[in-house]
Amino acid sequence: MKVSYNELQGLCRKAFCAMGFEDGDASDAADMVAWMQLYELSGLAALGRGLDFLLEDQGEQPAELIYSDGDLAVLDSHGASVLKSSTLALELGFAKARARGLAVIKIRHCHNRQLIMGYLARLAGRGMNVTAFWRNAQAPDTAAQAPAGEQATDTPLIEQVVGFRAGSPVPEIRVYAVHEVPEENEPNDGVTLIMANHVDLLPSLRSEYQLDLLARHQESDLLACRERAMRDGIEVDDALWARLKHLATRLLVESGDASRSGAGAGTLDTD
Amino acid sequence: MRREDLASRLSDVEQRLRLRAPDEVMGLERLGSLHASRLSFVRSLVRQMARQRWQISTTRFDLDAEGHGVAIYRLQTPQARYHGVIFSQPLDAAARSDRVIAEAWDVTFGVVEGDVDDSLLEQMAANVPLQEAGRQHPRLLVLSRANRSLRNFAAFLDALSAGRQPDPAWLTRVGYLYRTTAVYGNGKFGIADFDRLKHNPDFQRPFSAQMLAVYLLRHFSIEQIEHMARARAPDGAVAMAAPLRRYLGIGNSTGLGMAPFLINHPQLIQRWVESREKALAQVSGQVPGEPERQRLVTLVARAERHLAETLTEDSEQSARNQEIASALPAVRAWLEQVPLAEELWQELIDWSRQTLSLEAQELIHTLLLELYPEIVDPFEDQMGVEEGLELTPDMPLVRLKQLIETHYDWALRHDFGDPDERYWFWYRSVEKEEPRLGVRGAEPGADRELKLAIAPRVADTHGVIDDFLSAHPRALVVEFLIHHPRHKDIIRRIQSMAETPFGEIRANLWAREMKPMHLLRTKLSFFGASRFDPKSARWVRITLFQGAPLVEELNAEPSDLIDFDDWSFPLEPGQNAEGTLSEPHATPRQHAGVSS
Repeated sequence: MKVSYNELQGLCRKAFCAMGFEDGDASDAADMVAWMQLYELSGLAALGRGLDFLLEDQGEQPAELIYSDGDLAVLDSHGASVLKSSTLALELGFAKARARGLAVIKIRHCHNRQLIMGYLARLAGRGMNVTAFWRNAQAPDTAAQAPAGEQATDTPLIEQVVGFRAGSPVPEIRVYAVHEVPEENEPNDGVTLIMANHVDLLPSLRSEYQLDLLARHQESDLLACRERAMRDGIEVDDALWARLKHLATRLLVESGDASRSGAGAGTLDTD
Repeated sequence: MRREDLASRLSDVEQRLRLRAPDEVMGLERLGSLHASRLSFVRSLVRQMARQRWQISTTRFDLDAEGHGVAIYRLQTPQARYHGVIFSQPLDAAARSDRVIAEAWDVTFGVVEGDVDDSLLEQMAANVPLQEAGRQHPRLLVLSRANRSLRNFAAFLDALSAGRQPDPAWLTRVGYLYRTTAVYGNGKFGIADFDRLKHNPDFQRPFSAQMLAVYLLRHFSIEQIEHMARARAPDGAVAMAAPLRRYLGIGNSTGLGMAPFLINHPQLIQRWVESREKALAQVSGQVPGEPERQRLVTLVARAERHLAETLTEDSEQSARNQEIASALPAVRAWLEQVPLAEELWQELIDWSRQTLSLEAQELIHTLLLELYPEIVDPFEDQMGVEEGLELTPDMPLVRLKQLIETHYDWALRHDFGDPDERYWFWYRSVEKEEPRLGVRGAEPGADRELKLAIAPRVADTHGVIDDFLSAHPRALVVEFLIHHPRHKDIIRRIQSMAETPFGEIRANLWAREMKPMHLLRTKLSFFGASRFDPKSARWVRITLFQGAPLVEELNAEPSDLIDFDDWSFPLEPGQNAEGTLSEPHATPRQHAGVSS
């Protein structure tokens, strides 16, 4: 079915609130999912994959600051979804980059990393150049984004890099498979971010190694997605939509006579 | 010389010096005393339609004798074409409810961007009548519904089909044939996002597409009842006389559902209130001549009679109306007696602040705005804003604390431990998510409270910041938040709003003495509502577009735009013994049911 952007954002926010997210986290998470979906980057599919995990993850432990100096910080999300745990780490990076010109932030042990892009868009909107990198990325949902003939047949190690220019609403994204896997290849569930006040850090693939480009999203493609979404609505999966709606009902209060009169009107208006 | 030729804009500095203090402006009771003004959205829309020569035509009018069927209106602007599509259907009396929990209505309608072909019409016919339960098309800009005022409908149909004009007093009691119960925009139920209209010069102002939908419904209500009268008495029926058509508005029934919008869009509220206040500051510094003084006297007299003709069963609102109506003769006397000083308008504002009720004071402000269209009207382009609350993570925490104490001092004045200061909680019901108020500790649902009360949240955060600073005096906001992430939302709001004085309603929305009606009226006044008729402390009926120019007058491309726009505080048309209707005159008079 098709929904509007505002509808998608609103339902996600309610669903996240119902899942126990604090208000600020719920609206940020909703913005992150809706942003991905707006640009046809499968935000809802990513949420759908992580939903059970989110529902089980009732841990209240916030992201922990492991190390911090003037322009570098390492945080541990303790396996939480980036929807719940990444925004303050990103804000810390933003603060450091503003003070020092460039900052590096490592968020260890986080889940649903794709979804971090929506918040990076916000930082870019506030004038920051941002690049995020992660390894062991999810393979793209469709191969349609990959240039013909470049699709990988086996993908032993997938890396993803996302770069926003300051002020740009959309990033450049590259997802690629590395065939010559380095010896040191511990599973990595972190994200590394570089933020720079004055220098843009857009991804540009250059390597001695053999790479297969799995997905490449250019700024202009993404802007066209947005235009399409505003014109035609945003496609969502019916079952996931129903599930989010059902979750959101947890916030609603049962109705009785007292409550019905709490709205302040009668129920019939035959005047 | 035209009135506005005498006007000249004040410098930014003088404008700033003349702005009223936010503590005064943003008090809930004062906001709840606002009247519609020339910056209200219905007024802006009518001006825009006239200025840009918008044309409205009927492209389909398939109604049966009972008025049921489909009507489609085409709107042509210089930019684009739109269509208003209205479905009218029988409604069981037992299902006629204004509340959001209703599931059927007399009419349902939408405004479509572009043309309506058969497939779109089919899709709309299957979904628009279902409203929230339907899946709406992304080319719909507005989705709405309305119910008949049965008494007015019957009286008008009887009169017109009997070949006579209905008594205008019907519209003085209830100013419409139809009352909308929700007018949805911005992506609700699948319709177009507001974002899509941001660069569309036709509807980029807040709520302008919604107001257009209501205006089209008004036109439909006239055409429909005339059609029904003709069907009932093909030879004897008459059309509604122009003064009566003009005196016919569209009602709106509104409950607590409006409250969350006011709290959740502080940047927009800031723009609305700031624009009005800046316009008032400009006007207060104008040097009046005798024509302006006389014009204001005339406007006061018209408002006085309009208020005398505003009937409500609500005793509190009735008392407020009477209080203003009885104060206005003194205002006219003051205006006629004081010397024509350069600072006359500022003196009037100061005098009214000392002597008049809040509602009367705000009425004077609204009328002053009428005097200087050239100064006031440009502010209508300032009413919209790109919304977005953002953190400033590198702000020193001590600076944030200072900001709270300086700009949110109003939030720190309450003792939230006092049961009367934490009496209410806001929530959404399972019944169509209708917003409601419950008594904390006495009714279920406080655990699922909507966080609309900003003051207690600010106070809570201020306390936690205070503690944190004693151990970390040089901390940044982001460092505080990493330790206390639950405060992110409110800190983002404080940081974004601190420098904008008119965004926050300065009240404790938990307090037992808080009156939700004030919240509703705040928003409705910016829409352009008149005839506030509270049905309880949480439910109000109002009228929109009463007195507004008609579609045929718009289509005739008026040459005098000032005159075309002069329709605030509409008055009941006169009717002679033969039943002939005439344009009203603004002579103050007594009206049955209201003494002054």
